[in-house]
Amino acid sequence: MTAPFLQIRNIRKQYGDVVAVRDVELDIAKGEFMTFLGPSGSGKSTTLYILAGLQEPTSGDILLEGRTLLDTPSHKRNIGMVFQRYTLFPHLSVGENVAFPLRVRRKPKAEIDATVSRALKLVRLEGFADRMPAKMSGGQQQRVALARALAYDPPVLLMDEPLSALDKKLREEIQFEIKRIHQETGVTILYVTHDQEEALRLSDRIAVFSQGEIDQVGTGTELYAEPRTRFVAEFIGDSDFLKGRVERAGDGRADIRLGNGFMVSAVPTHGDAGPGRDVALMLRPERISLFRAEKPRSLAATVRDVTFLGNNTHVQAETETREQVAIRLPFGHESAAGLQSGNAVWLGFDPSSARAFC
Amino acid sequence: MLLDFDRLGWWKWMLVSITALVTLFLLLPIIFIAALSFGSSQWLIFPPPGWTLRWYEDLFADPRWLQSAWVSAKVAGAVTILSVVLGLLASLSLTRGRFRGREALRALFITPMILPVVVLAVALYAFFLRIGLSGTFVGFVLAHLVLALPFSIISISNALEGFDKSIEDAAILCGASPWEARLRVTLPAISHGLFAAAVFSFLVSWDEVVVAIFMASPTLQTLPVKIWTTLRQDLTPVIAAASTLLVLLTVGLMLLSLLVRKALKR
Amino acid sequence: MAIVADTRGNSAFASMSYWRVSGIGYAVPALLLLLAFFVLPVLALLLRSVLEPEPGLGNYAALLGSTTYLRIFLNTFLVSAVVTVLSVVIGFPVAWTLAIMPRRWAAVVFAVILLSMWTNLLARTYAWMVLLQRTGFINRTLINLGVIDQPLALVNNLTGVTIGMTYIMLPFVILPLRGVIKAIDPAIPQAASVCGATRWQCLTRILIPLALPGVAAGALMVFVMSLGYFVTPALLGGTSNMMLAEMIAQFVQSLVNWGMGGAAAFVLLVVTLAIYALQLRLFGVGRLGQQGN
Repeated sequence: MTAPFLQIRNIRKQYGDVVAVRDVELDIAKGEFMTFLGPSGSGKSTTLYILAGLQEPTSGDILLEGRTLLDTPSHKRNIGMVFQRYTLFPHLSVGENVAFPLRVRRKPKAEIDATVSRALKLVRLEGFADRMPAKMSGGQQQRVALARALAYDPPVLLMDEPLSALDKKLREEIQFEIKRIHQETGVTILYVTHDQEEALRLSDRIAVFSQGEIDQVGTGTELYAEPRTRFVAEFIGDSDFLKGRVERAGDGRADIRLGNGFMVSAVPTHGDAGPGRDVALMLRPERISLFRAEKPRSLAATVRDVTFLGNNTHVQAETETREQVAIRLPFGHESAAGLQSGNAVWLGFDPSSARAFC
Repeated sequence: MLLDFDRLGWWKWMLVSITALVTLFLLLPIIFIAALSFGSSQWLIFPPPGWTLRWYEDLFADPRWLQSAWVSAKVAGAVTILSVVLGLLASLSLTRGRFRGREALRALFITPMILPVVVLAVALYAFFLRIGLSGTFVGFVLAHLVLALPFSIISISNALEGFDKSIEDAAILCGASPWEARLRVTLPAISHGLFAAAVFSFLVSWDEVVVAIFMASPTLQTLPVKIWTTLRQDLTPVIAAASTLLVLLTVGLMLLSLLVRKALKR
Repeated sequence: MAIVADTRGNSAFASMSYWRVSGIGYAVPALLLLLAFFVLPVLALLLRSVLEPEPGLGNYAALLGSTTYLRIFLNTFLVSAVVTVLSVVIGFPVAWTLAIMPRRWAAVVFAVILLSMWTNLLARTYAWMVLLQRTGFINRTLINLGVIDQPLALVNNLTGVTIGMTYIMLPFVILPLRGVIKAIDPAIPQAASVCGATRWQCLTRILIPLALPGVAAGALMVFVMSLGYFVTPALLGGTSNMMLAEMIAQFVQSLVNWGMGGAAAFVLLVVTLAIYALQLRLFGVGRLGQQGN
């Protein structure tokens, strides 16, 4: 990775006693598509607003190419932003909206005209320049907002849940457009969303926010395969959790005894998992094998629900200690045939695919 | 930025200063008359050289002031009742009715509010002279009713539009007769609108000057007419005393409507 | 009272539709009142303007042909225009502040605005007569502060009328405009700022254009209300600076010239209705505010 292009240094935002953003630290490379993923109120939008200059941090610093941004007011930061709500200027036509950032920069008319048509072409809205925003669909409005934000070639583009007001189909369509525009322009994008699928589809890297902090940063694969906290494991993909206690620990791995005495050995752990500690054992539903006959080193359970979902079958099972486990079997898997509620089953898994969280 | 009070920088202080000045400007005359009504200066010097209750004594010693206030109260009371009743009926028709020309009718009902009062005053004066209603109690009530009705209709129509008619239908399905349903279900639900209509109607009549000036006779005049004729002679502090009482009445009505609104919300 | 039956056959209540309020019935009493004591008298007055003293348009010719009357028209338009401009220019920042300031303080300002609106018109006008007179509080304060040597003539002229009218009209601009500004999404000026607009550019290119319908509606309303205002000009303007409404009153009361009075009233009526029609054309129904006179 090249030298950090954009650095978020220990940013903290506090309202009285409430800490909205807690010492967030992040480096973003030039041209990277970085997503802030987290539930609402996790501080991801606040961090974005601080980057835009629409809010001031209580402490910390933001550096763009090594220079601080904090003493620059928002209108001089030269950063692009697309908002969650539709923020096209309702009294200006689409073309005038896109021209707005250039007009306030007092660019010559010829340049404005050329840039506007280039930006509208980029978002595939050529010929819409004279349309008024109110006469356009939500998806079109957000594409115009994107064109407006890119019209002045900002080094960084911020997007605050820009698609959350759109329906699923349209959302996917515009996600594809955003990805294409990212590739065509090479702009660095910081994207806020609470939708993990959207984050996985778009991003180079994802920063998972929880309660004002970044829990983990990584590519989608890293976050799914190696979640470092229970929160990340829960937020990215589906996961099962079983209660257990550490028997032996060392070298980042632990032997864990589950509720009914079942032992799982050498599970990779996160956090301070000393012997005697209660932990949550995380399993991914598709990494669990399901047997119809008793097998050694497997967990006895009873099927509670079977749902056929096309390419896979979702099985809800209950262990002897009344813990719920979801299992996903691919279509045509032999164990799925004739499976129904009440059947006794045995669950097996590779301990190295499990993770233990304190 | 511009709509976030805490991110306006020094503009915030500029805006706050302008607003504070305008608020003072709006408050100045009201405080001023209240202070003068207790001031001892016949020539209305401010700040007053001393304090006195003399102007209030003068006010209450003059039976014409009390008489005119009584006439005003009677007229305004009658106008309030008639305006709410007629306004309720008209609003029922305007909000629930389905007939041609409904919008035109609504526009006609609102017109007295937006026309210059002086036109109506002159027209009614001429008309009442012809039919012998000028200078009569009935004449005052009818004229003020025309002016108050738009306020009543707007208040009650707004309340009725916010009321779900199907609740009334439900009461009828439960066995209530249509009028019983209206009395027990609809009226309580729109009581805030009825109250607003009553307050507006009362104030319109109570404060009305222009029509009253034309209609007043030496034997029958309302309080505003009494103030008007006194004002045209000289700026006596007695008017300050009368005005202060009117301000108090306004404050009282504002507090009352605040309390009623709160009570009705619960 | 005629109650027209609900004719919608698909209504679940079709069988009991005989009692439903579906027609004009309940509006009849109010309608009769307005026809008898509003429409008829106004029409009769207008009729007199073309019938008295003799049939024809003589009254209108006299009204528009005399410099005295034309000066009154001019005064009225001038004062109304100045009051409108002042109300909008002063009212805009107040409405803006009121829309965004902390709720508690906004409630205080709001209460003062309502108090001033609801206080008896004569009481307010009386206060201005006293405040503005030669020996009044304002002149004395200005002299004591050394701003002026001689008292200013603030009353019995158009200056006094303008001050008093602006006082009365300000709330009619502030209250609706506040609503318009409150309805603007705060993210829109934020977006403009991120786009590179300075605060001034945000104001002139975004906020003011977005508030313009409210400004225009408020301005038209103030202008048209000012044109027909009677009490304040009559009391603060003095005899030599008559405005239109007072002229109408004079024709009727002092001169007992119903023809001329009717003609002047008709001119005022036409101008008023024309401006309201313009407002409806521009902004649709629903913005017509309240008029107190």
